[in-house]
Formats: sequence, C-alpha cells, structure tokens
Amino acid sequence: MELSRRKFLKLAGAAGAAGAALAPGAVHASTAIASSRGCGLLIDTTRCVGCRACEAACSEKNALPEPALAGDARVFDVKRTIAPRVYTVVNRYGDPKNAASVRYVKTQCMHCVEPACAAACPAKALEKTAAGPVVYHQERCLGCRYCMVACPFGVPQFEYDTAAPYIRKCSFCADRQAAGQLPACADACPSGALQFGDRAQLLEEARTRIYQHPDKYVHHVYGETEAGGTSVLYVTDVPFERLGFRADVATTSYPAMTQTALSAVPFVLTLWPPVLMGLYAISKRREAVSRGATGESESHHE
Amino acid sequence: MNSTSLRVAPRAWIFDKVLMGMAPDAYVRSLFTPFNLVAALILAAGVPAIIYRFAYGLGAVTNLSQVNPWGLWIGLDVLCGVALAAGGFTLAATVYIFGLKEYHAVVRPAVLTGFLGYVFVVIGLLVDLGRPWKLPVPIVYSFGTTSVMFEVAWCVCLYNFVLFLEFLPAALEWLGLRKAREWAMRLTIGLTVFGVMLSTLHQSSLGALFLLTPEKMHPLWYSPFIPIYFFVSALIAGLGMVIFESSLSHRLFRSQLDPHAHVDLDRITLGLGKAASILLFAYFFIRLQGLADSQAWALLNTPCGHWYLFEMFGFILLPCFLFAYGVRHRKTTLVRVTAAWTVLGVVVYRLNVSIVAFNWNVATPYVPSWIEILTSVTIITIGVLTFRWIVNRMPILREHPAYREAH
Amino acid sequence: MIPHDFLTLHTAKTVEYLIAVSYLLLFIPFWRFVNARPKPDAAAAAVARPAAATQWFTLPEGLFYHPGHAWLRVEGPDTVAVGVDEFVGKLVGAPSAFRLPRVGAAVVQGEPAWSLVVDGRSIDMLSPVEGTVVAVNDAIAESPSLAHQQPYADGWLLKVRSAKVASSLKQLLTGRLARRWIEDVAERLHGDLTPALGRVSEDGGVLVDGLARVLQPDTWDDVARRFLLTEQRADSAAGAPASQGGHHA
Repeated sequence: MELSRRKFLKLAGAAGAAGAALAPGAVHASTAIASSRGCGLLIDTTRCVGCRACEAACSEKNALPEPALAGDARVFDVKRTIAPRVYTVVNRYGDPKNAASVRYVKTQCMHCVEPACAAACPAKALEKTAAGPVVYHQERCLGCRYCMVACPFGVPQFEYDTAAPYIRKCSFCADRQAAGQLPACADACPSGALQFGDRAQLLEEARTRIYQHPDKYVHHVYGETEAGGTSVLYVTDVPFERLGFRADVATTSYPAMTQTALSAVPFVLTLWPPVLMGLYAISKRREAVSRGATGESESHHE
Repeated sequence: MNSTSLRVAPRAWIFDKVLMGMAPDAYVRSLFTPFNLVAALILAAGVPAIIYRFAYGLGAVTNLSQVNPWGLWIGLDVLCGVALAAGGFTLAATVYIFGLKEYHAVVRPAVLTGFLGYVFVVIGLLVDLGRPWKLPVPIVYSFGTTSVMFEVAWCVCLYNFVLFLEFLPAALEWLGLRKAREWAMRLTIGLTVFGVMLSTLHQSSLGALFLLTPEKMHPLWYSPFIPIYFFVSALIAGLGMVIFESSLSHRLFRSQLDPHAHVDLDRITLGLGKAASILLFAYFFIRLQGLADSQAWALLNTPCGHWYLFEMFGFILLPCFLFAYGVRHRKTTLVRVTAAWTVLGVVVYRLNVSIVAFNWNVATPYVPSWIEILTSVTIITIGVLTFRWIVNRMPILREHPAYREAH
Repeated sequence: MIPHDFLTLHTAKTVEYLIAVSYLLLFIPFWRFVNARPKPDAAAAAVARPAAATQWFTLPEGLFYHPGHAWLRVEGPDTVAVGVDEFVGKLVGAPSAFRLPRVGAAVVQGEPAWSLVVDGRSIDMLSPVEGTVVAVNDAIAESPSLAHQQPYADGWLLKVRSAKVASSLKQLLTGRLARRWIEDVAERLHGDLTPALGRVSEDGGVLVDGLARVLQPDTWDDVARRFLLTEQRADSAAGAPASQGGHHA
C-alpha cells in the first residue's frame, strides 16, 4: 500500500494522540515505581506493521535525507543498520512469504540508564540528561570514537567521509520532550507499537502485557536489565535472538566496569608521593651512611 | 671590518650548535647517507599521505568503520608508543629515587626516548582524532570525569610537560644557559615522583579503556586485570627499550661518547636484564591468574587460544628465561637480543588487545590500510630522526664538560 | 566474556590460590638462579687464594728457604748450594743476567749477596747463609734463564762453604713453616693483585711471569725489592708500605 508522506503524518498524529491519551490511563492503574528513571520508549514488535512512519518522521525532524525506498517493501529485503544520516531503521524478520512469521523491529539508540558512551566520553560530549535522553554536544566532541568502542549496541555513528566529522545518533528528540511533545517517531507511529512515557511506568506496562498474555509474549522485557537498564524497552512474541537483538549484552551497567579502575586514581595520587619520597629518603640515608663509613666524599667515577 | 665581525658572531652560533661546527655545504653533503635516503623516501610518501588524511577525512585513508572505530593508529602509535616510552620514568626512578647511581649513564637517553615517545604519541593521536583541534576541550572546559580516557588525556598531557622539564637540563646545557639549567636540575626529584605517579596512572588506564568491552573482546584477553597487565608490560617494555636503545646508541653515536668517562654498558645491560627477567616472571604468573579468574581454560584449545599460548610462552616466559640465563652467564649480546624480542612482545600484546582480540568475532575484521601503515612508519621515522638530531648535538650520551659534577 | 556461575567460583578461586602459591615457591629458586654466578668470578679464580700456595709455587722438600726468596741445599757438612726460588721468576720474569759474587767472596746471611738484572734494572737479593763462595754456576752466565726454568736443579747460583751451616739453618724456613710462609706471600700478592688486575682474563688460575710489572708498570723493581726484602735503605721505599723484612718464622 502506498501512502504519501503527508497521509502518514496525519495518521500518525491521530494514532499518537490516541496513544498518548491511552497511556497515562493504563499506567495509573498499575503500581508506580518509587524513583522515576526518566523517560522511556516501549516498543512492542507485535504491534509494528513496518510502515516506517517513524523513519520518515525522524528524518524530517532531524533534517536528514528521506528514508531509502520510502513506501517500497523491497527495502526490507536487505537488513539495514543505522548510519550517520540514518538515526533509526526498521528491519523485517521472518519469512516474507509467510505473513504470520513476519516481524518488524525498530532500531535506534537505547538511551541507557547508565550509558557506556556518556561514561566513556572524555569531553562530556555525550551526556545523560536527567530527563532521560542521552544527548550529544557536538561542539565538545574530539572525534576520538571511544563512545563507539564502548557502546554495546554499536549506536554512535561516525562521519568518516568528512574532514570535520561528528558523531551522529538518535537524540530521543530531547528538544521536543523539553517542549512537552512526544519524540517524532512515537508521535508518528500509527499502530501503537511505540509508546512513550516514564520509564518506570512503561516497565510496569510491559510486564503487565506479558502477564496478561503469557502465551503470546516472551517472558522478558529487553532493556530492563540489558546494559544495566535502557530507556528503550522491547517486548516481543518471538525470541529476541531471532529478531536480531544482541544477546551478549552485559546485565550490569557499563560505567560500573571502569569504576574500580577509576576509583584507584585518587589513591595513587595520595599514596605514591609519600611512598616514593620515603624510598628516596631511605636510599639517601644509605648513601650517607656508606659515605660516612668510608670517610671520604663521594667522588665522581664515571 | 666592524660589520663583518658583527655578522660572524650569530652565524657562528648556528654553525656550532645546529650544524655541529660544519660549514653549510659540508653539512648538507654529510646528510647523504643510506639511512637518510630511506628516511627521505618514507617522509616523501608519508607526509603527503598525512596531509591527505587531514584534507579528506579518516574514511578516505583508513579501513576504520562503524564497527571497527579503532585501528593501527590507536593500537600501535598510541598504545605501543606509550609503552615503549616507559623507560623514562623507570630509569628516572631507578637512578633518582632508588639511588642506583650506576645507571646514571642511561637515564638521559631514557628520558629523551620517553619525551620523544610521548610527543609522537600525541602526534599520532592528533592524526587519529576526528576533530584534533578540539583536543584542548577535555583539558580546559568540559570534563568527562567518568571517563578513563579523560584521565589518560590529563595524565599524558601533564606527563608530557614533566618529561619536557626532565629533558630540559640537557637542552639548557647545550644552549649554555647555566642559571636556567641549575633551576631545572633542582626540579629533578619532584618531577621524578610526579612522573612515576602519572605513569602508573596512565599506563594502567590505557588498559582500563578496554574494561568497557567485555563482550567485544576475546575472553582470553579480556580481564578485569587489564590495567595491571598494561602497567607491568609497560615497565618491561621500558627496560627492554633502554637496553635496546643504549646498545644501538653506543654503537651508532660512538662519536658522542666521552672517551674518558668509561661507561660500563655491559654491567648496566645485565642489571636491567635481571630486572626485566624478574618482572617477566611475575607478569607470566599474573596473566595466569587472569586466566584462572576468567575460567577461560577451555578456550586455549582454539586458534585464538594457540595464539594466546604463543604470546604467553614465546613473548613472556621465553624472554624471562633468556634474560635470566644471559645475566647469570654474563652474555650481554643474548640480553640485548632478548630485549628487542621482549619489546616486540609487548607490541604484540597491545596489538592483540586492541586489534586482534577486540572485535575478534565481527563479520568484517579490521586490517590496516597501507596509508595507515605508512603514516605510522612516517611518524616513527620522524621520531627517530629527532632523536638522532638531539643526541648528535646535546649532552645526552655524554656529560657536558662545563657541567660535570658529582651525583 | 564467559558468564560466571557461583558454583564454578569456588574452583576458580582455588586455582588462583594454587597459582599464587606455586609462584611464590618457584620465585625462590628463580631469584637464586638469576642472581647466582655459575662459577666463581673469573678474576677471583685467577687470583683466588689457592688451596695451598704450593699450587702457585713449588717448594721442594729438603730445601731451606730464606724470607728473601733464596733457597739453600745442604750438600756436605760445610758446603751448601744456593739459588733463587720459583717466586723470584714469577715476580720479575726471566732475568737477563745475574751479577754473582766471585769465587772466594764472602757472603753474610741476610745481606745482599748477588743481584739479578731484569729489563735493565738491577735487584739485589739476600744471602741465606754466611760463608765463602767456593763455586759459581757458569751455566747461569751463559743462560741466565736457567735460574728461571730450573730454579732448584741446574739453576743453582752459588756453592758456599760455611762454618755455620747449622746455625744458619736455624734462621731459615723449611717444611711446614716454609709452606706457611709461602702462603703468606701468596696472600700478600693476592691482596696487591686484585685491585690492579680488576677484570682478569678467563683462562684459569695460572699466574704469568712478571707479576711485579702488572702491579706497578713503572716501579716494578721497587715492588720486587719489597718482596725480596732488599729495599733501598738510603731513601725510603717510594709509596710502598713497609715490608715485612726480617720477619722470621
């Protein structure tokens, strides 16, 4: 079915409004988690129809090129990854000839609760905000690419093709959120696959869905503990590994892995000087003693 | 008459200091040696390549990708460069803190190797950074204090300064600035302590960079103890480099040696070799501990495992025993050859961690492009040429006659 | 990263302890291996105290030795043969000539009786006996090196008739006393040699001739006189510590 972009957005707007109206109601009914961890995005792959309205909305909001093969289902024949000018992609999994097996999965920055990239960045160019999004301050970036090394999801994309490169990734539409709006993708989604809200509440929502449909959903919310918890949460009815999700992501936060090493720094700074000066004093004393014993001033032999 | 004498005085200074007392045409003629020819070819190809890299970006010259963000320039120029420059703080501590004066003859070359090593590490880093003009950002106003790389950046920045000040007395002696040189010498012990502290931090932190990559690095090399491995291997590399560099320098720069100051290089070599042997012994066992901790024994029977075993036995345990044997039987040539092999072993280790083991299981493994290799070789060549330039002019291998003093 | 299981943790920690303990145990022999020398330092070997100084110098039994390194052999009730011991040759090398007293000359025990000439320098030696020279070894005049090659046999220097053989002998060293004396000499020589030789060649402990020249290339004759107890008494020995001259066992 071919939809024009404007029609998409109209539908998306309607769906988004409906979704936004629904979400708070559904959430209030559940037990609230004590501390909120900022915003979140719940992606239910059972509801995603592969319309790619999210891709279109994202590229428009971020002034990126239009998504490839817009409206053409052949785009799903090859798996796509995010790129410096593509902040989110939707991929198809399963056999296209068997409609029941087809699932669509949207990929983008996971906006981790304790992001490896923000912990890794020496210039704080990638920064975790209290509201939730991990934002990028391009004027601080050195282009060292340590964030790319650190991110377990391979999210930060580097502009290799230019002499003045930046890192590019989804910003969770932090500016739209600050203005009280939904992220562009969540706003555009017509099927309710993308649900934006408070992370803790979305986690409850996800668990509720699983609990209410135990035979349908896989009993795991991807992003609950992955990388120590991410803002973007996924629920599926097909095992996650079959949908291209990385299964080897650690369940502890990545910054915690370097904290032991970093916490040694103040100790080295404090203990090394007295230890080294003590050794120096000992060696000086031994020199003085041996000089005194021989009764001659140290002469220069070499 | 007056005008000619005025003109002669400043020219003479340049002749004496820079041209080593030769007339300009004689100096230029003396430059035509085989080594210089090779170096000139390397620079003729490498410098334009570096300019091209800055003009067209990293994608145009490297095989780096979104999946493989780090390559040869980080693995070799930065990680190995810093390890090989570790002789600076090691020898400075040996001579000035532990008071082992018999190594005094090699402390200045070691500090020079360290200083130039770090300068060219920074140059290599500037070539690798996507936005090198932003290098001052984490130093001056935006502090990513949760980042290990932030700590590395600060330590390397400060340590460059420390090394420069440690090297400064030799330069000041060369320039004849006595008072400044006296002032600089007074800083020695403080600089040495500061330098040991900074080196401990950043040598280990370069390893700690990889703590964030548990699922991206091969389990045999990934360990929470990587920082310790990097620090100990840096000590070993530093000692190996001092042995290697001193034996080369005493051969190539024989004219710079003071014929009256008999330097017992054999004794120094054996002493350093003994220290390296003991460190290698301990290093082998702490690597074993890491294996036990990660419970990765089963992986030893894979191709990667075989390579790991080769690294352990060929580049750690073997030089350990060769050093021990050479020291015990006073075979200085064996110690020197082993030192070169050991330095190679540390290079292999760091390349293993950063290129071979990191991202070992991605679909498109990283292989350096020829421009990356050429760039690294060019940077190393410029470093060697700078080393030679300084050693040929400044009191590094010898003492300046005006500044001979008891130590 | 290999996922860890608490159940396997126990084994892993045990293995780590075992590795640590093995390392500590292995460290001791390793340290000793690196620090030890396979054989005593070559220099020390060359100049080491020999187990018996007789390894360095032969002191044949049956001879009597004067502290000035002359030997005496009783040949008849009042006749003795006199020569120089092996030490002299080792000390100064093969002499180019001997200046021997004429037949009929008188010699006094403990007084200079003859001299040897090495490298143009003349060094006196003390007589071990008092008496009259009755024979001089002509072969020595022909080839002075005979005294160096066969000091105790064909290299004899003088035959002396003495009325005081018995009392002379009392002042001389023989047997165990002679061996103690030569060990003492070797000790002094070792003490003088070690700083001078420094790093010595690696070939065994055989002393080469002309040791005095090793000790003092310029004033080796003073050194020789110090050992042969014939230092110039007119002017004090240049820089040399007082000899143990006249010390009889």
